Amino acid sequence: MSSYNELIKNFERIRAYMREFYVYGIKSREDYKSKSARTYDDEKRRMESWLGDHMSYVRTPEGKNVFISIDSRQCDHNPLYNAWKAKSFTDGDITLHFIIFDILHSPLEEHSLSEILSLIDEKYLSGFDEPLVFDESTVRKKLKEYVSLGMIETRRAGKQLLYKRAEDNVALPDARALNFFSEIAPCGVIGSFLLDKTEHEDHPFDFKHHYVTGALDSGVLAMLFEAMRRKSIISVSNMSRKREEPRRTRLIPLRIFISAQNGRQHLLAYQPEFNTIKSFRVDYLSSVKIEEPTPRFDELRRELDVMQTKMWGVNTKRGIRSPDKLERVEFTVRIEEGEEHIVRRLERERRIGTVERISDNEYRFFADVYDTMEMIPWIRTFICRIVKLNFSNRTVENEFKADVKKLYEMYGLTGGEEE
Amino acid sequence: MIFNEIYSAYYNTVASILGALTSGKASERELKDIVEKYAFGESALTILPALKEGRWQLMLPDGSTPIEHRPTMPMTLIEKRWLKAISLDKRIKLFGIDLEGLEDIEPLFTSEDYRIYDKYSDGDPYDDEEYIKRFRTILHAIRTGQALKIEMTGRSGETVFRRCIPTRLEYSEKDDKFRMHTSGKRYAYTMNLAKITKCKPYFGESFVPGIKTMPPPVSLTLEITDERNALERVMLHFAHFEKKAESLGKRKYRLHIKYNEEDATEMVIRILSFGSLVRVVSPDSFIDLIREKLKKQQNCGLK
Repeated sequence: MSSYNELIKNFERIRAYMREFYVYGIKSREDYKSKSARTYDDEKRRMESWLGDHMSYVRTPEGKNVFISIDSRQCDHNPLYNAWKAKSFTDGDITLHFIIFDILHSPLEEHSLSEILSLIDEKYLSGFDEPLVFDESTVRKKLKEYVSLGMIETRRAGKQLLYKRAEDNVALPDARALNFFSEIAPCGVIGSFLLDKTEHEDHPFDFKHHYVTGALDSGVLAMLFEAMRRKSIISVSNMSRKREEPRRTRLIPLRIFISAQNGRQHLLAYQPEFNTIKSFRVDYLSSVKIEEPTPRFDELRRELDVMQTKMWGVNTKRGIRSPDKLERVEFTVRIEEGEEHIVRRLERERRIGTVERISDNEYRFFADVYDTMEMIPWIRTFICRIVKLNFSNRTVENEFKADVKKLYEMYGLTGGEEE
Repeated sequence: MIFNEIYSAYYNTVASILGALTSGKASERELKDIVEKYAFGESALTILPALKEGRWQLMLPDGSTPIEHRPTMPMTLIEKRWLKAISLDKRIKLFGIDLEGLEDIEPLFTSEDYRIYDKYSDGDPYDDEEYIKRFRTILHAIRTGQALKIEMTGRSGETVFRRCIPTRLEYSEKDDKFRMHTSGKRYAYTMNLAKITKCKPYFGESFVPGIKTMPPPVSLTLEITDERNALERVMLHFAHFEKKAESLGKRKYRLHIKYNEEDATEMVIRILSFGSLVRVVSPDSFIDLIREKLKKQQNCGLK
């Protein structure tokens, strides 16, 4: 029987659990039917250990619901990064790690594998009653891993391969800069790894409108960036709300679209199977495998650049060769005296649209987009001053108006004009 | 690529323990303090026994270590690549740091590789040398507790003077703006950095700064109808607040959020953006704010 360990080998399972607990937090233990009760208990216990006070509970008739609650304005460091710092390892891994870097404590120390093996046995482990035994292949493998991570360099001298610590020619930046970028830059968890190497108790920053969920997707995101840098095709597992099991698909990743207003991250990618550039939610992607480079990358990215002028959010046209089927979205708002801030709002939030003054107190916004629906939440934020709508997609326009009427009913306003 | 034990809390903790041991023996209490500081809630159950029992052969039975040097780890390639990526971000200039040694490093990403598509377009002027100078003065003042004399543009364009002690800098990704929280003479202020026109250390008569006590967050209860994936959209949208959700059955959910009352206007429009799929249940004062907006809309003559 395996015993509980607060560290984990595979990130995917905890990624799903943390997301469930953080984003929703409405399921009780019984709702996790597809998982074993033991798995649920173990994952919950791990999160309690990693996240401390951010874990909360509520009793409901269905049972006890566990959830993660984070007021990101009160946190100067994303607590979800802790999951990335919980990778399991063997007794041999950690022992070897510290011994190897003690042997190679300076870039001036250069040793062959056999020298390193001798030092491990004679200098480091001889004081233990039952010393661990590391064979040549284990140590070679570990050294090779550190070479691939860029921490150790090799040099051939005759028939021998010599190992030395990589030159640390990059100084660790100011902790305040690391703190800032680890919270706001993509793959910020890497900045958090660097921050761990500093004494960083005093941080001057707070973050408003700060979405921490993306932290869980950092591994996938790093792979997607790597693929884009290499201009390569990937194969990836893509989950869907409509399917139980993820589906494997091949894509050419082109750009990551990040929302500052809800924290969602999408991959915009070319899908050869359907000859289309479309968006994929990064939190639905897993098991990214980078394949061969493609000569089409630059051309497809240029295509996306052009498409972006018609995209309000992440939705695109259907096929790459199909003609642009654009929808015109127009609305007019009326502002009162002293409401110039509304005009400034329109200007700073208009994205690909245009704002024009059409009378002393009326402003018209218009844009041609692939998908009117994507704009609806934003247009609703102008409720209380919308005097005219004119969507080429009449269905969406009528739905919008019907929904506003429903709002009147919901809040006890029976419709019609008020005095 | 990044899920590797070398970045783990355990490795950092053991590095710190070995650092202490290389400078002499450490007491049991000191070792426990290190674990508490660097690792997780339950880690003490694993780390110290593993070292003491010789499963991790880094601490000898007498409590000393065969490790001779304070453990350090060279930067990994991906760490350098991430640093290179942020060195290309224009906001790096705010910190006045020189990231030397990255010349031959390929960035993990560039601005071509990602796009924040819904941030507002009137963000702070990060290329403006004067803005950068003021930012650094403020950052330094936060660290040292130095009082500042501020000149800024008021709401109606007038020049306003303030003496204050900056306490925190707040950044909003959506607004792409910094705001400074301060304690001032008698009062505490929050100001947009971009509105500050002059900022210099103040060495005049000392003053007892007013403390801004953040009002406790207020509660808001919403009812969500889970159509068109509304539940997930709402939960993600409000994910950054302290919140609690419950199922009411029949695809209805209740969500309790705690937010700062000064953001009420923003909250009203954020809730309205979900249309009829989200209804405010309480408090009544917030419902009144929604009703007020809707009444005004009724008078707009939208047919």
